[in-house]
Amino acid sequence: MTTLLELKDVVVGYGRIEALHGLSFTVEEGEIVSLIGANGAGKTTTMKAISGLLNLSRGSILFDGQDITRMKAHVRVARGISQAPEGRGIFPGMTVLENLDMGTYGRKDRTGVKEDLERVFALFPRLAERRSQVGGTMSGGEQQMLAIGRALMGHPRLLLLDEPSMGLAPQFIRQIFRIIAEINEQGTTILLVEQNANQALARADRAFVLETGTITHSGSGRELLTDPAIKEAYLGVA
Amino acid sequence: MSAIGGGTPTPTARTVQELDQEESFGGRRRFLGGWRRRWNRMARWQQWLFLIIVLAAIYYLPVANPWLITTEPGNDFPISCFQMAVYALVGVGLNVVVGFAGLLDLGYIAFFAIGSYTAAFFTSPDSAVIHIPYLWTLPLAIGIAMVFGVALGLPTLRLRGDYLAIVTLGFGEIIRILATIIPAAKGQVGFKEVGHPPGTDSQGHPIFSVSNGTPWYWLAVTVIIVILMLVGNLERSRVGRAWIAIREDEDAAEIMGVPTFKFKLWAFAIGAGIGGLSGALFAGQVGFVNNQKFDVATSMLFVAAVVLGGSGNKVGALLGGAIVAYIPLRFTAIADYKYLIFGVILIVLMIFRPQGLVAAKSHLLTYSRVVADRVRELRSARGAPSRGTPVRPAAHAADESTRGGAE
Repeated sequence: MTTLLELKDVVVGYGRIEALHGLSFTVEEGEIVSLIGANGAGKTTTMKAISGLLNLSRGSILFDGQDITRMKAHVRVARGISQAPEGRGIFPGMTVLENLDMGTYGRKDRTGVKEDLERVFALFPRLAERRSQVGGTMSGGEQQMLAIGRALMGHPRLLLLDEPSMGLAPQFIRQIFRIIAEINEQGTTILLVEQNANQALARADRAFVLETGTITHSGSGRELLTDPAIKEAYLGVA
Repeated sequence: MSAIGGGTPTPTARTVQELDQEESFGGRRRFLGGWRRRWNRMARWQQWLFLIIVLAAIYYLPVANPWLITTEPGNDFPISCFQMAVYALVGVGLNVVVGFAGLLDLGYIAFFAIGSYTAAFFTSPDSAVIHIPYLWTLPLAIGIAMVFGVALGLPTLRLRGDYLAIVTLGFGEIIRILATIIPAAKGQVGFKEVGHPPGTDSQGHPIFSVSNGTPWYWLAVTVIIVILMLVGNLERSRVGRAWIAIREDEDAAEIMGVPTFKFKLWAFAIGAGIGGLSGALFAGQVGFVNNQKFDVATSMLFVAAVVLGGSGNKVGALLGGAIVAYIPLRFTAIADYKYLIFGVILIVLMIFRPQGLVAAKSHLLTYSRVVADRVRELRSARGAPSRGTPVRPAAHAADESTRGGAE
């Protein structure tokens, strides 16, 4: 396995307030890696640093062996990093199809678009049914599907999922995670951050626990699921 | 052209039912929404005929000087028409910035001023700079205003929302104050006898004169038509898609691979260029430029025009500009209260029709025309196709929708 993404001692701050204090971890090609943590632990900050929406104050990010620390977000998309942002972040006034079309914006190849669209429609049949519906009028779960589908339209090597289960009904959460696993089986590396630790750990090859900007625990998903400290803090089991 | 709409026959095809639904969504919109639907349903020749009639009426307007509509005796009607046209052009330009890219520019008057001064510098006998024919100052004004637009945009477009608005407001003031304190700009004394396009009538008087607004109006309307076509093409291109995405959600656009900064800068530069062009036209007709016309209040009036007409819709912005210019010219008794009146109008509008007179479409402007065509065809061939019939996808919708202004 080769290392696809590597964060080295990453520090990100908002003004003077540091949100990440020297974060280091790697994501290997083909893995699902989960980052779990409470509100304000720095999960979304980590995601934005990787996708390029936030600048680093220190440290570096390597993607596929290349330093992308200073690379603009829209260039990183072309390199193969796609993000489904927190709070879904779809274009509310555009239809499903137009949203998916926006996902191909940074692509140079036009030939693979059709296959990717078919792949997205196969993963999310609901999107195919609703293709001409305006994004903002869809339910939370559907918007989440659209956000993930749109990110896949960029044909990423690394898919960043920021809280894919946020605000979803339990049956939707299970469904989303099943689809995430399926996307991974099709060959896309996945890094996801979650508050819903149970599902995130169960599906992950490896996982990290983030607390106020630093990693406190790491291990395979299964290890962390059975770790008593994690159980108590994140799984709601005493 | 959208990549998805382009090459995929079955998955992107819409069903008749979906099209019908879309129709009924349109039907729920009242007022001008109904007009758009009716327009989209017209055959191409009908649209052309309609456009030609409207254009003929627009060109004929100052000559007809219709009763009730006329601004006389308070203001000369052809000159009033010209001023409306200039404001309409300003509306179209500012709409690129505010409406398309969603960047609130409160200092747009600065570009108008830059255009006016460009025309004055290079044509007025009061100016020491080399003199060039007036018509050459029009592209020059566009170019110089664009340079200023980029110069303002480069450091400031990293700001968002309110912050950007404040900086642009400051920029508007800076340009006005510079015009006052730089000796070469001649402050309140200004520049007289700004140039005009060539040509004389049978008595040897120039056709484009300060007292005759009609030829100026025709020039301005022609310029507007050209600009509308250019802007319309941009709107339907990759650039237009990027602008709509930026307006809807800038971060999301960036992580879709849209170089947001670059496209915001383009919106700023294009808007500035159109502002400069309108300023140069205005300076030519009035024949005199000094520092008195470029205040913040006029900037606000420009924004009001765009919002009133329908931010994000070029026809709306055009209409808004014309209305904002027309009302104080027509109703001279209330002209002094125009800011009060527009304020009240805007508040009422925000309550009852927040999208403006002509609503913008946040769609990517790719499908609507094709969809309307399909529905009409299917309606006329009623009976055979119904649910689940695959419809030709929006292939080459871009070429099909390159017709006239109203989208």
